[in-house]
Amino acid sequence: MLIERSSSWKEGFIQRLENHEPWNNSVLYNLSYTIAENNLITNFTGLQSLAYLPNIKPLPHQIEAAERVIEQMNGKAILADEVGLGKTIEAGLIIKEYLLRGLVKKVLILVPASLVNQWVEELYTKFHIPALLYKKNYELDYVDVVVMSMDTAKRSPHKEKIYAQDYDLIIVDEAHKLKNHQTISYEFVQSLKKKFCLLLTATPIQNDTFELFYLVTLLKQGHLGNYDEFSSVFSAKNRDEERDSYLKELVSQVMVRNRRQDTGVEWSTRKVHTIPITFTDHERQVYTAISNLKHISSVFSGAFSTMTLQREMCSSPEATIGTLRNLLPECKQVEEITHVEEVIGQLEKLSIHSKAKKATELIIQANEKVIIFTEYRMTQLYLSDYLYANGISNVIFNGKLSKSSREWIKHLFKQQAQVLIATESGAEGINLQFCHHVINYDLPWNPMKLEQRIGRVHRLGQEHDVQIYNLAVKETIDDHVMKVLQGKIETFEQVVGELDDILEMKERSV
Amino acid sequence: MHSTEIHTYLHRFFKENDCEILHGNEHYLTVQLTIDMDKRIMNRPFYWRYIESVNETPNPAQLTLITDMQQLHNGMKGEIIHLGSPRLHQLFQVTKEMGQFVKMYEHIEDTSEQLILTPWVGVNYKVSFTSHQTKEMLYSVGINLMTGAVVKEFQETISMLDLSDQSSEQVFHLPYIITPVRALDRLDAVITQVIEGEDLTWVEEAEKRWRKDQAVLDYFYEGQEPKPECYEMEKQAMEERFKPRISVDVVNGGLFYLK
Repeated sequence: MLIERSSSWKEGFIQRLENHEPWNNSVLYNLSYTIAENNLITNFTGLQSLAYLPNIKPLPHQIEAAERVIEQMNGKAILADEVGLGKTIEAGLIIKEYLLRGLVKKVLILVPASLVNQWVEELYTKFHIPALLYKKNYELDYVDVVVMSMDTAKRSPHKEKIYAQDYDLIIVDEAHKLKNHQTISYEFVQSLKKKFCLLLTATPIQNDTFELFYLVTLLKQGHLGNYDEFSSVFSAKNRDEERDSYLKELVSQVMVRNRRQDTGVEWSTRKVHTIPITFTDHERQVYTAISNLKHISSVFSGAFSTMTLQREMCSSPEATIGTLRNLLPECKQVEEITHVEEVIGQLEKLSIHSKAKKATELIIQANEKVIIFTEYRMTQLYLSDYLYANGISNVIFNGKLSKSSREWIKHLFKQQAQVLIATESGAEGINLQFCHHVINYDLPWNPMKLEQRIGRVHRLGQEHDVQIYNLAVKETIDDHVMKVLQGKIETFEQVVGELDDILEMKERSV
Repeated sequence: MHSTEIHTYLHRFFKENDCEILHGNEHYLTVQLTIDMDKRIMNRPFYWRYIESVNETPNPAQLTLITDMQQLHNGMKGEIIHLGSPRLHQLFQVTKEMGQFVKMYEHIEDTSEQLILTPWVGVNYKVSFTSHQTKEMLYSVGINLMTGAVVKEFQETISMLDLSDQSSEQVFHLPYIITPVRALDRLDAVITQVIEGEDLTWVEEAEKRWRKDQAVLDYFYEGQEPKPECYEMEKQAMEERFKPRISVDVVNGGLFYLK
């Protein structure tokens, strides 16, 4: 094999022999040798980086994950630990190890805009890795580790700048956003050379196994075969246990997934409560009227709009009114308009929603800090008013808040307010271990969104059992959402592995 | 390296570089940098360019380096120095640059008779074995410039001798027969031999993994001709990831006159 040698030392030595330059200090000479001896990487395996990281004490499952990724997966992996188990720590360990061993020089870290600062800070304080927060006009030539928001990176002129660099390690946080292979983000990541690559997500499957197919293919083309083969073998219709376990085996070759119970850490448990709610007669009447709108006007004939309205009706009158008002201009005939206005009128008379009432009872009963998750901004405002009217202090958290306002709201919640009302987009990346009651006021279609929500409080550092309340109105669309959720959880468990409790499941297959 | 070792190192490093240690104890030290050291480690070229262009009195920085984190809690201000800290890494780098080449003489007690010292070239090599993983080895070898005899563990041997930068009086230095250039070529050959004697199963392992990944990729693009750009890119990435490489660096070395 070819042995690479640099001749620069030899030249310097000869120069000194010819008296062109002075000799060095002998103490520094000996010191230098001692340093080289001390810092020598004496083993192909094992994490050398731990000695360099006095500020963190990684948990056993994190060290194991980093070792497995480097030693067995050749540095290409999906890190899919459950939320709150420290995927960032695992990624940090891997980056540090590769930098230390000289296998990686340039690192590109792609994350949602809301997490950019957090990444830079954690890399610096925990791993002593100076990462640059990318801003417009920055040149990337002299920056070894850069953190960028995915939304910026995938656009011109930034993506061209990235293509011009030669990154050794690419990291994508919240990689479930790449589940759709037709998005710009997916294409962008696909077009990057991946010597080493880490995809971080707690939720590698959100809806079906194809998402996993695309994620794995992004990481390692061909690992799950091509699309046609995959769909013929693993599509939902002709799945059986043997194939599922085969797929699971293939997936586990490129994916690390720790579950809370595997970690050896004493975890508090989850107590999941399904809270059935009964509509009042008046509410039921309005709900029926909304469901029947499709017979009145073609504007509402699409299944989607009816379902949206029904879901909103199960959330708050305000959310429903908002959508109706938006659709009203599309109604052309006078009868249609009067009918819709009549429904709006009925909705306006509903001052108290049964779900809000129930939620308030739960909060009073808990008598501690509570997070409420809702799907709708209008419901968020409605709930905030309603809770205030009942003497319950609360703050609102959503995706529109800037980084500093997020911190401020989080601070207010910790110090003063009893309740935090959050929407989905606000849920990502905030850590609220000081709270252990979660009310899922509306249920999302996607179980992983629920998992993300619960993960805000059920993470390392949580000392109490986490109480989860899933609210669902009886004999409405809510029932249907529950059923869909259960089906998806089963798909996930068959392919990826078990999930911690999200829904209250009575007949769970073992 | 423990914090006490690091502390000892810092002391020696600054002392040897003529940086005065203003105060300190076993947990920290405050040091006055020289102009040269400030330029090397403080990363402020504009300051120095300005000072020198207007002929102002330079004001090199003082640094407080804390090796025991506990001290921070006592309200001390300064840089925490531990094995992973960027500052220490930087000082290691400076040490390496400033301790690359030496010329040293074995010290002789005053005697009436004339003594003869033999020239040696000693080199400390670092060999890196790299594929998707890495391992490094240090080899210290020396060669006698009179006889061509090669000894291993050269650094370990000379560290037990009493060496100095200055030659003692009344000592005769033999002129070398083998030129240092030839000697270095000879040492290179010795290192090559040592490497060839190393266990090379890691090469096989890397190539096995490489072939396996390549097969998966080829299968994915089977029947597609010509192959798309992303095929070539992945192939390239694979080569960078797995291709076994051996590189030899010199940590430092020198010319030694020994008894």
